[in-house]
Amino acid sequence: MNENDRKSDRVEDHVIEDSHSGLPAMPPVTDGIAHVHDEQASRTLWGDAWRRLRKNRLALAALVWLLIILVAAVTADLWVARAFGDPTTIDSTTAAANRLMGPTLSHPLGTDDLGRDILGRLIYGSRASLTVGVAAVSISVIIGLLLGALSGFYGGLTEAFIMRITDVFLAFPYILFCVLILAMLPPGARGIGPVILSIGLLGWPSFARLFRSSVLSVKQNDYVDAGRAVGASDSRLMFRHIMPNAIAPIIVYATMSIGGTILTEAALSFLGLGVQPPQISWGRMINDGRSYLISNPGLVFWPGFAIILTVLAFTLLGDGLRDALDVKMKD
Amino acid sequence: MGDHLLEVTGLKMYFYTRDGVVKAVDGVSFVLDKGETLGVVGESGSGKSVTALTMMRLTPMPPGKVEGGDAKFKGRSLITMKEEEIRKIRGNEIAMIFQDPMTSLNPVYRIGRQIAEPLVIHKGMSKRDALKRAVELLRLVGIPNPEQRVRDYPHQFSGGMRQRAMIAMALACDPDVLIADEPTTALDVTIQAQIIELMQELQKRTGSAIIMITHDLGVVADMADRILVMYAGRPVEYGTTDEIFYKPQHPYTWGLMDSIPTHSLVEKSELCPIKGQPPSLINVPSGCAFHPRCPYCKQRCVDEVPEYRIIEGTHGTACHFAGDPDFARACAVEVGV
Repeated sequence: MNENDRKSDRVEDHVIEDSHSGLPAMPPVTDGIAHVHDEQASRTLWGDAWRRLRKNRLALAALVWLLIILVAAVTADLWVARAFGDPTTIDSTTAAANRLMGPTLSHPLGTDDLGRDILGRLIYGSRASLTVGVAAVSISVIIGLLLGALSGFYGGLTEAFIMRITDVFLAFPYILFCVLILAMLPPGARGIGPVILSIGLLGWPSFARLFRSSVLSVKQNDYVDAGRAVGASDSRLMFRHIMPNAIAPIIVYATMSIGGTILTEAALSFLGLGVQPPQISWGRMINDGRSYLISNPGLVFWPGFAIILTVLAFTLLGDGLRDALDVKMKD
Repeated sequence: MGDHLLEVTGLKMYFYTRDGVVKAVDGVSFVLDKGETLGVVGESGSGKSVTALTMMRLTPMPPGKVEGGDAKFKGRSLITMKEEEIRKIRGNEIAMIFQDPMTSLNPVYRIGRQIAEPLVIHKGMSKRDALKRAVELLRLVGIPNPEQRVRDYPHQFSGGMRQRAMIAMALACDPDVLIADEPTTALDVTIQAQIIELMQELQKRTGSAIIMITHDLGVVADMADRILVMYAGRPVEYGTTDEIFYKPQHPYTWGLMDSIPTHSLVEKSELCPIKGQPPSLINVPSGCAFHPRCPYCKQRCVDEVPEYRIIEGTHGTACHFAGDPDFARACAVEVGV
């Protein structure tokens, strides 16, 4: 309500202001006066999207959760060891005494079979999950954008060729392909790097397809023709005119994919093909704790809970972004 | 011969679609000199826009293909020159204004940046200089508060203002030829008049030639030096504005004239539309393409394609009976021309 009042005030201000403004070279436009004109800062596409996102409670909660684990993961070295004891190493003097403790003040979620703090391990584990999620999806997005742009923009043979390769990649069950690649590596070579590469190099086809269709629809717009008519080159058209208008679905899908990738990483680590000890990851923690599933379910429950919550957060955030970036939902 | 600014001779643009060959432009010729205005008039689908797009090489090829003719700009063929060369001409020497200003501006960029784009591309200006120039251009086209308005996004502009911004963008590099493809069709009638006035005013200042594409003879009446009337991709009549308005030769031109609404306070007359639909460009009627809708159609019109011929000076038409005194007399009674 308040905002509306302010807006109408501003319109009136503007009418007066316009009629007093200096003499323009041409008869001034009369049809523009009734338009609301934001003086401070013009609203941008991203500014608008942020305003809409802020109204979506679920997406905002997801964002807050993701920020919390991001901050915890980045600052872990500074405080986790001091607060809960170093969760990355086994302290042989206290390991036996601290083994499989229930929740206490100094160990809020208890300890694992080697006396390490579970919350501390979750925080360190989030590093692997987030790194794999973001890095692998980035690789997929870059390859997908490039190939999708080429096939959408040029069409014809280029498109046919790229899309057939995409089809071939999509024909393989994605996680099995990852397992295959990682299983072929010698155990010493396994770790976070190969996981990122294998997921990243196999995940691009859906991005390529999505971006291609997005480019195809944006390419129809008059402003692309107008850009061509002022003499813009192909690369300028692609990167300046089409890309910014076609990128929204990619951002949404990438956000959701990070969640999926975290899940894949957890699955691969659970199978022993992903992150190797002493590195920690959530999937690895579930694997380590599964022999205590009945006696100490917390060992499996907490990393599982962290995975679910984080994957859900990425999905909800992606959902929120989709609504926020939809230009047609102007309010 | 080669000293016209723009000379189009027998231009043909065909589209090869799954349903057949669409002869969108079928032998169009005209000349344009410095500072002149050419009006290209015809119904939807008569090939007006495609003619302009073909000259700019903006039609998708394939499916489109230039099947003959040429368009020479300053003596150089626009049709055969290299892509890099025509890119230097687009927006620089020949600029274009599109029909729908609501969709012709990129929604993610500020107005100023879009007006500045041709300057950055062609004149190698820095972004800052180009933006300064964009402010001047906005002022030139009559946008109040241009200093603030350059920072606006297209959705903050109304239709008329966007078309003004499009004109500013087209004029940025001071082009020799400005092609306006139905620049007023998507606008309110009151704004239409403003835009036309603006274009005339700017033409006086910059001396650029204008090709005004429209379906409304009224729009070009007091603007154009010459008028080209098109029907089904073919030129139907071409001449000076006076010739077209005072001595029209082709029944289609007559039809267009009759369908201009007249203000009359005293006597109410019925509006006279041309009956029927424009033909499909895949199955163009035999003989004269206009014959199924022509009220004066004779057997010859069905059988024989009328040759485009000169009636007087540069005034030409493609009608079997043009200049035939008996025919004119017979029809004059009905039409009242």
